[in-house]
Amino acid sequence: MRITSGIRIAWRSMSRNRLRTFFMMAGVMIGICSLTILDSVGENTKRETMKRFKNMIGTFDTVIIRPGAGKTRGMVSLTNVPPTLKFEDAAAIAAELPEIKQVALLQNAFDIDVKYKDKNVSPAIFGVSANWLDLRGDEVAQGNFITEEDMQSLARVAILGSDVVPVLFPEGDALGRTIRIGDVPFQVKGVLASRGAGPGGGSLDNLILIPVGTAAKRLFNRDFLTMLIAQVREPEKSDAAVAKITALLRQRHHIAASALDDFTLTSPQAVMAQVTQMGSTLSTILKGIATIAMCIGGAVIMSLMLISVSERRKEIGLRRSVGASRQDILVQFILEAALISSFGGLIGIVLGLGGTNLVARMQHLPPIFALRALEWTAGLSVGLGLVFGIYPAWRATQVDPVKALRT
Amino acid sequence: MIEVTNLGKTYRRGDGTPVEALKDISFLIERGEFVTIRGPSGSGKSSMLNIVGCLDKPTSGAYRLNGEELSGYSDKQLSHVRAWKIGFVFQSFNLMPRTTALENVEIPMIYGPGRVDRNRAMAALERVGLGERAHHYGTELSGGEQQRVAIARALINDPPLILADEPTGNLDSVAGAEVMGILRQLHQEGRTVVLVTHDDAVAAYAEREILFKDGVLASDRKIAVLATE
Repeated sequence: MRITSGIRIAWRSMSRNRLRTFFMMAGVMIGICSLTILDSVGENTKRETMKRFKNMIGTFDTVIIRPGAGKTRGMVSLTNVPPTLKFEDAAAIAAELPEIKQVALLQNAFDIDVKYKDKNVSPAIFGVSANWLDLRGDEVAQGNFITEEDMQSLARVAILGSDVVPVLFPEGDALGRTIRIGDVPFQVKGVLASRGAGPGGGSLDNLILIPVGTAAKRLFNRDFLTMLIAQVREPEKSDAAVAKITALLRQRHHIAASALDDFTLTSPQAVMAQVTQMGSTLSTILKGIATIAMCIGGAVIMSLMLISVSERRKEIGLRRSVGASRQDILVQFILEAALISSFGGLIGIVLGLGGTNLVARMQHLPPIFALRALEWTAGLSVGLGLVFGIYPAWRATQVDPVKALRT
Repeated sequence: MIEVTNLGKTYRRGDGTPVEALKDISFLIERGEFVTIRGPSGSGKSSMLNIVGCLDKPTSGAYRLNGEELSGYSDKQLSHVRAWKIGFVFQSFNLMPRTTALENVEIPMIYGPGRVDRNRAMAALERVGLGERAHHYGTELSGGEQQRVAIARALINDPPLILADEPTGNLDSVAGAEVMGILRQLHQEGRTVVLVTHDDAVAAYAEREILFKDGVLASDRKIAVLATE
């Protein structure tokens, strides 16, 4: 028997028993449809999470240094900062370690009123160094950023985050105006471009940047830092840099060999690895669910095929009597199962893509067509029919034509 | 054409006890003969026909068809023999449900030549007088018409041997006579026809009668052809 004949026979049999064909397809269809949705949405969510983490961390060739031991990886706490990480530490890291290209400094505070005329807000106030812009990957939308001269002269200049501008300056004319941070007057020197949301979904734009020295001496009256960002010369050797920084800081802080660090180092690469890990755990779980769904679809195919085989004993007997071998019968039934599950899978994929885009629209994400998912779901639906069709098809070959043809 | 030597067939019942359906059967049927196999129910005549038709294998003895010894043949080889050498006609017609007459006739071409020739199938139907009914489903045809479709199906690969198991058993006498007329025609064309029947009127078409009784060949005789046009 030719394979084309087999396909034709299978097609006719499918169209003669539409209801049975529909139910056989339904299992695979639902399985593949939910799989496509889960996989695409999972992938989309993962991508979006990565994007937000990247957003928060900024550039990738950096090591983040924070005071205090054993901080949660990734998330930077800006409150309750232990007073152990000093300006001198930052200077030492930059000066003594050749692996480090530059160090950016951050000192911050919350709940300080910022006023312009009768309007006021209380964004996060970040005292930062002039190289902050490079290391964070921020962009200035209007005006200029803090310069080394501003740093030296403890200038009272402010760069506004994009959320602050519309509140204080509804007209948008922020540049050159004088605002009051606490009681200290600052001149608006620039406005940052919007960064969007962080991993928690909160805005990263509700802040004002001022020179870190100005913050320490004129505003906060504090000599310790919230965070340092050290840029590594060779990102692939960031592990070595982490070790060097650790050694230097332990020595400077006079930490005994048996004691724990009083600071925490995080390389963004490590954080991203963790996020990626999280994502792949998610997709492993999804694949598990998928396997279960597929097994159910397969069981439906198998049981309906078995019923079909016993209903069609006469047909099998007749085909055998006119020259069909056992192998012909086997091929015919396997083809039928594979064809049905392929069609079911195809419909499932189409529905799944529709569902994916619906979900994406609900999440306000761009629509996606997860080609990667298509490849393996398509393969899966064909394979499913093949695997779960084998046993019923074998049963069909065991039909005794003599008995089947007896009235 | 058909050469059966010391052939035996033993079945096992559900409880394992063996039943000897055929015992030490030997006969020879020449090409072009029209033979009936007769005998009471359970005499072994249907078992004999199934073995001759390669749907079943003997337990002992030899079966040669056209000089080919078939007892050692694989399923695939026997299927090939069924496709090309043998045309079956059954008592219950065995047309496929929800399938047109034409599609029924086409089925053996899938397994013989491998490609379906619709024109040939149409010609076969016209030959049994059913050209007009080609696109009707089996359920829309009378018993006699269904059996004629089955004969067209049996002929489509042009086999030299036609095996008919009570072909008129489910038909009235007029339809039965029509079917027998076609079978006689096939015989006159030079095909070998072997017919299992209870019916004396049907048996009268044949030239030779082999009688089975309790699994043995009880008699084998030439008979005068009584039925005429």
